[in-house]
Amino acid sequence: MKAGIKWLRGLLISGLVAGLVLSLNTGAFAKNVIKFGCAMSFTGKKSRTGKLYVDSLKLATAAINKAGGIKVGGKAYPVKIVFYDDKSDAAESAKLIEKLIVEDKVNFLLGPYSSGITIPDSIVAQRYKIPMVEGGGASGKIFSRHNPYIFGTLPSAGQYFATTLKMLTSFKPKPKSIAIIYGDDKFDISVAKGAKKIAGELGLKVALYEKISESSADFNTILTKVKSLSPDALLMAGHTEGGINLVQQAKELNVNVKMISLTVGPSEADFRKSLGRDAEYVFGVASWSPQMSYKGIIFKDTKTFVQKFKAKYNYDPDYHNASAIAELAVFKSAIEKAGSLDPKKVRNAIAKTKIETIYGPVEFNPNGQIKGSSVVLQIQGGQVYQVYPKGARKPIYPMPKWKER
Amino acid sequence: MLLQIIINGILKGGLYALMALGMSLIWGVMDIINIAHGAFIMLGAYCTYWFFSLLGVDPFISLFISILFLFIIGYGIQRYLINLVIRATIFITLILAFGIEIFINNMALVMWTADVRKVQVPYGASNFSIGSFVTIPYVRLGAFLIALIIAGIFYFVLNKTRLGRSIRATSQDLDAARLVGVDVAKTYALTFGLGVGAAGAAGTLWAVLFPINPMMGGVLTLKSFVVVILGGLGTMFGPIVGGLTLGVAEALGSNWFGTTYENFISFTILVLVLIFLPRGILGKSE
Repeated sequence: MKAGIKWLRGLLISGLVAGLVLSLNTGAFAKNVIKFGCAMSFTGKKSRTGKLYVDSLKLATAAINKAGGIKVGGKAYPVKIVFYDDKSDAAESAKLIEKLIVEDKVNFLLGPYSSGITIPDSIVAQRYKIPMVEGGGASGKIFSRHNPYIFGTLPSAGQYFATTLKMLTSFKPKPKSIAIIYGDDKFDISVAKGAKKIAGELGLKVALYEKISESSADFNTILTKVKSLSPDALLMAGHTEGGINLVQQAKELNVNVKMISLTVGPSEADFRKSLGRDAEYVFGVASWSPQMSYKGIIFKDTKTFVQKFKAKYNYDPDYHNASAIAELAVFKSAIEKAGSLDPKKVRNAIAKTKIETIYGPVEFNPNGQIKGSSVVLQIQGGQVYQVYPKGARKPIYPMPKWKER
Repeated sequence: MLLQIIINGILKGGLYALMALGMSLIWGVMDIINIAHGAFIMLGAYCTYWFFSLLGVDPFISLFISILFLFIIGYGIQRYLINLVIRATIFITLILAFGIEIFINNMALVMWTADVRKVQVPYGASNFSIGSFVTIPYVRLGAFLIALIIAGIFYFVLNKTRLGRSIRATSQDLDAARLVGVDVAKTYALTFGLGVGAAGAAGTLWAVLFPINPMMGGVLTLKSFVVVILGGLGTMFGPIVGGLTLGVAEALGSNWFGTTYENFISFTILVLVLIFLPRGILGKSE
């Protein structure tokens, strides 16, 4: 019996010692890496797009580390990202950002996906004065708060449909009216407001301007309205599932407009796979397409990135993926330029960023949002092509009626 | 245009009715509020999706497979899990159902990822028109008819068969049922299986109409809940009346007030019904 207790005590002590050694070890190890924190939607409503960011960030960290890491004052450090699942919930995400800063002691922050989640996260980043570069939120509301610690790589939501509307007015006969529908999400509202304003400036009549519930899968009522108003173009600011529903139900109810354009969806492989032939001729908007050609910092150029990405994950990258690469490229160049891991110095270096990445040139406005605009895409023959301005193919307008396909 | 909107509402109401049928049966007979109902609908949807995309089985055939598959799952869950706590207070079964929901959702998330998937049948969006302004999609009409047929079958089973008699007997007077030789545990398991099987059928039809993902169940549980309350417990026509009422009310409401308010409308109706018709439209007063 006594021997048993002694043995147990021995086990306990050795366990404690081992634990202590281990924790010291990781502590020491942590000083030799640059730690990024990222709360992303692994589960929940936003998880499908959230995965695109995670895949890209993992590929980019592997590429940075393979090339030796990030240089700070002559010494190269490997990079590590601490991920947490925000469950597509803004309050949860903000809590996790705090945890990343306070408990995990990350050096810098990478943004979550979607504008609604980015806003509370950016406020936490500001409170702790840790710079955050995000590639998943484009709403003007993120950047209008005079927050010096937030930088975004997606162009302004209000300008999202600008190129699409410009293209629309270039068609003959000139379209007269459009319908705008949008989700009750911060980003979508910003997109819709911007589109409405631009449409007015271009002399297009906005025949229908209506908000839809993000949780709703049913567009029958709104499509019935669209059918009776028969506008030339139907623009929707929403997310992938909504886009799939809209197109399918437009066909179900035989609603024929000359153009359907969606903010999110057409560029994603899932969208085309889900709708099959019905996805044909649908227009999309993106800040990037795989057919672009830029030199990169982490990858040699856009083509190399696309190849490596496809080889690893077996799907086509879209602008979310590329935007995530830009996040890390911005940090890499800023940290190297600052020559320090000091959050404030790195923040100032980020503000002065002027680089070319596989995502395109990156330069920030004083409010922290990228200078740039979007391009128009269209699905033709099961592939996505950039159709305006310039681009690999010409836009097909009007789209054929459902019964004539 | 108004006619089209009402038709949209009726067709959608049929699907709502089918979704709520199983929940109503389980609730009425066993007093279990099956929070996991939406998760079972999701399983039915995935069942159809996989049979379609791997083996090319048409959804209207795999309908029977998903009913059978979900029936077996439901039977097992009731027999070996819920029956253990069925005599406890309602909160225990509620929590257990909640746990089952979390388990199923997360298992689906791990196995199938959060990708949005769609059953791509060639006739997916085909339709016919009456006059110039009314368009009726075939699949929605089919879903509506199937909902009615399944409700009819349920009615027949409950009222005309021995199984139905024992189900009704256990829900009316447990001890008396046991005395006359009804195997209560088995009857409960069969009831739960039938209810979950109906959820499977709803899942199949849902998958033909809408994209699916592992987290889709939550909203559907809520909708089913509203329909059950609306229609009233204890009759097979309750869910049908409730479903159609909700479908049409949502369609008209979103036409007049805007689509954003769809859920606002359904839950306002729920509250009003609870205040003025606490037993639902068809519920019998005691």
